[in-house]
Amino acid sequence: MNVRTIRALLKKDLALFRSDRLYLVLTVLGLIFYTAIYFIMPRHVDEDFNLAMYAPVLPPAFSQLTQQPGTDIEFFQTENELKQSILDGKYQAGISLPANIMEIWASGGKPDITIYYASTAPPEVSQAVKTLVEELSFNQTGQPLSFDIDEEVLGPDMLGEQVALRDRMRPLWAVLILLLETMSLASLITVEIEQGTARALLVTPMRTSDLFAAKAVLGVSMAFFQAVLFMAIVGGFNLQPLIIIITLLLGSFFVMGSGFLLASLARNVQAVTGWGVLILIVLAVPGFGAVIPGLISGWARVIPSYYLVDTVNRAANYGSGWGEVWPNLAILAGITAVLVWGGLTVLRRRYQ
Amino acid sequence: MAEKSIIVKDLTYRYGSLVAVDHISFEVGTGEILGFLGPNGAGKTTTVKMLTGQLRPKEGSAMLLGFDIAREPEKVQARIGVCFELTNLYEQMSAVDNLKLFAELFGVTDFDAYALLDRVGLKGREKDSVGGYSKGMKQRLMIARSLVNRPDILFMDEPTSGLDPVSSEAIDNIILEERKRGATVFLTTHDMWEADKLCDRVAFMDSGRIAALDTPRSLKQEYGKRSLVAEVTAPDGHLNRREITMDQAGTADAVESLFRQGKVVTLHSEEATLEDIFIQITGRRLTE
Repeated sequence: MNVRTIRALLKKDLALFRSDRLYLVLTVLGLIFYTAIYFIMPRHVDEDFNLAMYAPVLPPAFSQLTQQPGTDIEFFQTENELKQSILDGKYQAGISLPANIMEIWASGGKPDITIYYASTAPPEVSQAVKTLVEELSFNQTGQPLSFDIDEEVLGPDMLGEQVALRDRMRPLWAVLILLLETMSLASLITVEIEQGTARALLVTPMRTSDLFAAKAVLGVSMAFFQAVLFMAIVGGFNLQPLIIIITLLLGSFFVMGSGFLLASLARNVQAVTGWGVLILIVLAVPGFGAVIPGLISGWARVIPSYYLVDTVNRAANYGSGWGEVWPNLAILAGITAVLVWGGLTVLRRRYQ
Repeated sequence: MAEKSIIVKDLTYRYGSLVAVDHISFEVGTGEILGFLGPNGAGKTTTVKMLTGQLRPKEGSAMLLGFDIAREPEKVQARIGVCFELTNLYEQMSAVDNLKLFAELFGVTDFDAYALLDRVGLKGREKDSVGGYSKGMKQRLMIARSLVNRPDILFMDEPTSGLDPVSSEAIDNIILEERKRGATVFLTTHDMWEADKLCDRVAFMDSGRIAALDTPRSLKQEYGKRSLVAEVTAPDGHLNRREITMDQAGTADAVESLFRQGKVVTLHSEEATLEDIFIQITGRRLTE
């Protein structure tokens, strides 16, 4: 490989990248957008349970609830005030107790307890409030539960140290930044083939390997620089910075291989965009899994970007060390090697 | 032709079962302009692709400047210039940046992009984005790019196709200047007039084979016929067109008879064009 040739090609590619307004704007806007979204989102997870309540008579079991840490209950003078507070979006749920609740319990009857929900309340809120009311009722009426509750926490117990949504989104944004570079790199290569400039290059003493080396250096450095810049701005290097840097570097090579493959598949720039968006959607899926745990299950492991997202997520958000992430990194390195080899092979054939 | 810049032996290329170039052999002397004529699909571009290292021959060999293009393409490519038929410039970049890029790829250090652009008639537009150039200007820039490394062999594929007469003549002059400098020119064209005017020899390519290769003059002598065409006013006042084949035993008598029979209004000689000869040899037109 000839360093002078690679330098000349890099200079040219950078000039072309700057003149390609679509990807330049997408790159800059993307970076600004992801960073802005991160800082707009709440810094902490609010683990307090907020509840509205109307209770002309407050049973003792219910009054104990007000003393529970992390439970914020506001009492209203009328049922209408309670309903209005929910309509105003101040609470997602509210409980209304009848005035004669104690008498009904004393006579062995079943009082009518009304639970109000906001239309935006998720199903887990309604389930939680119903369970709460059932349990308090048991406490009040003295009916012992016929079974013991055995709690077991599956996965990392994040009680009291929940990862904020914006932090859970960091791996998704980082991967989206990387993947956008796949399209950008593929577009640069395809334009050269489409406009015939590749032919002009190939009749000079430049070797195909020089051309690919220049594209690889550009693709890897553009992807890596942006991902690192983003993670640095959003505090993604606070835990395990070395693991994250190595993962992002592997991810940048992953991007390079994907870009080469995409460029060899696509006949023109429109096809790059079409195929690119499709590939981007598929590869972004594991990122959504990090944002909403439980959204996707084991099948996501067949998506190559899973090992990139999962490693960044574990290292950046949970401080996982080498011992925990090395299998992910090994698989990611293997997938990247296959992608780079495949991309180079197919693209070389296309150039020839 | 003391030295040979290009020596081609049994060069063959196939696209699947289609034989695009079929065992062609020829030589081109140093400082010679060889015209490669043929209709679309005759195999001209495939031949150029093999000679410039873009395609590897399936059979045969091509030695350029003493190097086998299939074995040592980089040694050949360092000393050739290629001007493509379709413009393939970096249109977002300026003319100067286009030339500087290729100068760097060729490793040319003593290079003056402005002087070269002046030579091809692009003075004053050097820093403009190529995307805003006219077709003629782009073609001139293509020629300039092919001259960046002062090539020993210049491959020109339809360099004047679709250009106005002024641009065509400017490009023809550059080709002649390059020949004068000592460069060998391999000119692929449909234009028989251009070939006739510029080329020392022409090769007729048809269906992947070379149907004829010689100087335009020799081809005309061998295949063409010369004639005299006259317009004569008959005694009844009608204007008649008469053609008399030259170089024959009865030519002189026929001319004398022409003047005796009526009033000769016009008289001029005609000779066969390369197009006529191409048709005669291959049975096809160049522009098919």
